[in-house]
Amino acid sequence: MSAVVTGVGTIGPWGAGLEALSDALESGQSTLSEVDRGKGFHADSSARTAGLVDPAVYREWLPGASARRMSVNSRMTLAAARMAAKSGGLDEDQVGGDRTAISMGTSFASSEFTARLLEQINKTGPQSASPFLFMETVANAYAGQVAMHFEARGSNSTITQREASGALAVARALYQLSSGSADRVITGSVDEMSPLPHALLDRFRALARAGADGVERSRVFDRDRGGFVASEGATILMLEPEELAEARGAKVFGRIRCAVRAFDPTAPAHDWGTGSEPLARALTRGLKRDGLAPKDIDQIVSGASGSRTGDRLEAHILKKTWGDAELPPILAPKSVTGEYGGGQLAAAILALNGQAFASTPGFESVDPDLGIRPHDGASLPTPKRILVSSLASGGAACWFVLESCS
Amino acid sequence: MSAREQRAASQRIVVTGLGAVSPYGRGRDVLWRGLATGETAIGELELFDSAEHRTHVAGQVNADFGELGEHLSRRQRERLTRTDQFALSAAFEAFGNADLSEGTTELGVFFGCSTGGMFEGEALFEEGADPSSTTQIFAAHQNNSPADAIARALGSTGPIEVISSACSAATMALEGALQALRSGEVEVALAGGADGLCRLTYAGFNSLRAVDEEACRPFRAEREGLSIGEGAGVLVLETLEHARARRATPIAELAGAGSSCDAFHMTAPHPEGLGAAAAIRAAIQDAGIEHGDVDFFNLHGTGTPHNDAAEWRALVNVFGERASRLPATSTKSGVGHLLGGCGGLEAVVTVMCLDAGMVHPTMGAGPVDPDSPADLVLGKARELTKSNFAVSANLAFGGANGALVFRRFSEEPS
Repeated sequence: MSAVVTGVGTIGPWGAGLEALSDALESGQSTLSEVDRGKGFHADSSARTAGLVDPAVYREWLPGASARRMSVNSRMTLAAARMAAKSGGLDEDQVGGDRTAISMGTSFASSEFTARLLEQINKTGPQSASPFLFMETVANAYAGQVAMHFEARGSNSTITQREASGALAVARALYQLSSGSADRVITGSVDEMSPLPHALLDRFRALARAGADGVERSRVFDRDRGGFVASEGATILMLEPEELAEARGAKVFGRIRCAVRAFDPTAPAHDWGTGSEPLARALTRGLKRDGLAPKDIDQIVSGASGSRTGDRLEAHILKKTWGDAELPPILAPKSVTGEYGGGQLAAAILALNGQAFASTPGFESVDPDLGIRPHDGASLPTPKRILVSSLASGGAACWFVLESCS
Repeated sequence: MSAREQRAASQRIVVTGLGAVSPYGRGRDVLWRGLATGETAIGELELFDSAEHRTHVAGQVNADFGELGEHLSRRQRERLTRTDQFALSAAFEAFGNADLSEGTTELGVFFGCSTGGMFEGEALFEEGADPSSTTQIFAAHQNNSPADAIARALGSTGPIEVISSACSAATMALEGALQALRSGEVEVALAGGADGLCRLTYAGFNSLRAVDEEACRPFRAEREGLSIGEGAGVLVLETLEHARARRATPIAELAGAGSSCDAFHMTAPHPEGLGAAAAIRAAIQDAGIEHGDVDFFNLHGTGTPHNDAAEWRALVNVFGERASRLPATSTKSGVGHLLGGCGGLEAVVTVMCLDAGMVHPTMGAGPVDPDSPADLVLGKARELTKSNFAVSANLAFGGANGALVFRRFSEEPS
């Protein structure tokens, strides 16, 4: 089971496109914005910043008037999908068809439109509910918008599994290609960070609070980490079977060799659990099923975000999976991109293609419970294989292996 | 084809357990008896005040879930939303029906859900609400919550996949389970879906003028829209090899699945039903049968003028002249539209129909639409002269379509 990536589109606080993300990862600089805390959802002492996207950075990728009534999620998804098509040298009319499927992931769906619709219903009565808001509150609205734009008539699915939504969408895409039910899958992840989810994440103590310097910063794997920076954005990957991509001489960004899925039943509904042992076993078994072992992995693109519990779970899984062997370099792109919005997927593609990463921003001291020292900024050889790790609060887990085609 | 792919291609996936929660009550037998009576469970909406809404009926679940106390602590139960309760109740029933042991932890959980615990989450928007008192609901209101609750309660460490593709979510979740079982990723899976009533969807569908003021009347000439329902349907799926090894009794076989997208309109189906036809055809092809082998059809059958008409066009597209002679029914006429959960409950019903050799009636008043002249089972359950294969299909917002082919279990492969 494998497929190749033939297009990448990405939008995030860093801007639009792989080049903008590459610059951010190399410099280690995050772009943070002040969140609108005037909606009444936030506590007085709440976190104040998030990785928000300036709509101007992707405006050129929107198809004009038809985007006017779309939610932010639909706009970002469509813009990233068009970007992905272009990056792979595909004309827009080549993208769709009966055998082009869509497998999207989203953690919160359109929280902005949901909040607006519920405010309408409560303040002015249910008969004032807007059908335009309603249709965009449905989690699969963005996949539907992309399908309409490209006339993609294959399977159209949307996965909602919190922080692992994007990785699980990629895993489903891989299944669709390997089962022969599609010849191309538009896959990826999207999320908007409106005041509502930001405030609620904060009330769960999931978000990073300001340090002595007054900056809210994620401290991935650090002893003093206290939460993540919530972000928004969209990343879209175009996947195809390798033989079809070869036959049309497609530009190939890498191969997705396999995906592994599991669940941690120790996780409470709103947090990460402690079940590293069974998850490590699932990862090892999943790699083995595809003829791989931990020693075959050259780099890990971690899903760690600065969460106390999430980072601990990931660290323990990796330690148990590698056992006595030394862990490969661990890149932590969420220290730059923030949590949500799919930046990790695009960062993994860049890593496979030799991207230089700055020393992990925010990391200062090894947590003795974790024993993990993320990437220190040293120059790394271009990897042959990368493990992308994604663990969700609530219990879902997904890993996939990216492999160089050269 | 690799050895593993060959094994997958020959792998048969069987249904060994069923569980349901519906407006008829808790349990698959209650559901079956209710549907067989020909009396709809759609009635007055009582969950929240509907005085200011345009319509006032729904398929509401009024069941007691005290039985969850056998599996969960009081603290765990207090944190469940209504949808979580539906999902867990159906899952425990299916798990027990399949006679799986509590130690079966390498389960896959594949689930469809579209609104999750939105009903509880709506408390945040009520006048004078204190967000700090409702933060727990935030975790629960997400669409992954019911499936996570199932996997957590069963101690599952296998794969989990939650599809939130509106009305075809659970159907596509079953498709995902089928792929995972065929590929050898898992040997046993719980698959289905659940959704609960909430103000947002009730007002939203009303804003689209898609809700009938009476109980829905699928495929009837005077139909005016759907009725929103709630509940859950869960199936235990496993490889035949796994079922045989533990001496389980297969009820049916999940023979094929297919999905597609209209790529036409966000809320309206393609008028010719082209996307739905593609999904049905793909499922039939995946099952390795011909359309002439299908013995009955469990319709999406919402009762909206456009959706039923498009579905009829899809049936004609796939089955040709036989479309008007193919026994068909709409489970939604009895329980309402379970949105992200409908594909799970309708899959359960389809399997029960195959197992019983009869199709439950489609409820609702009035003559069948002469422009969509399906062979609707009316009045009382109809015994089938042949009940080997059945199709259950769902059409969703965003143009997402899904279809499943079930086969009455036989030791002989099709």
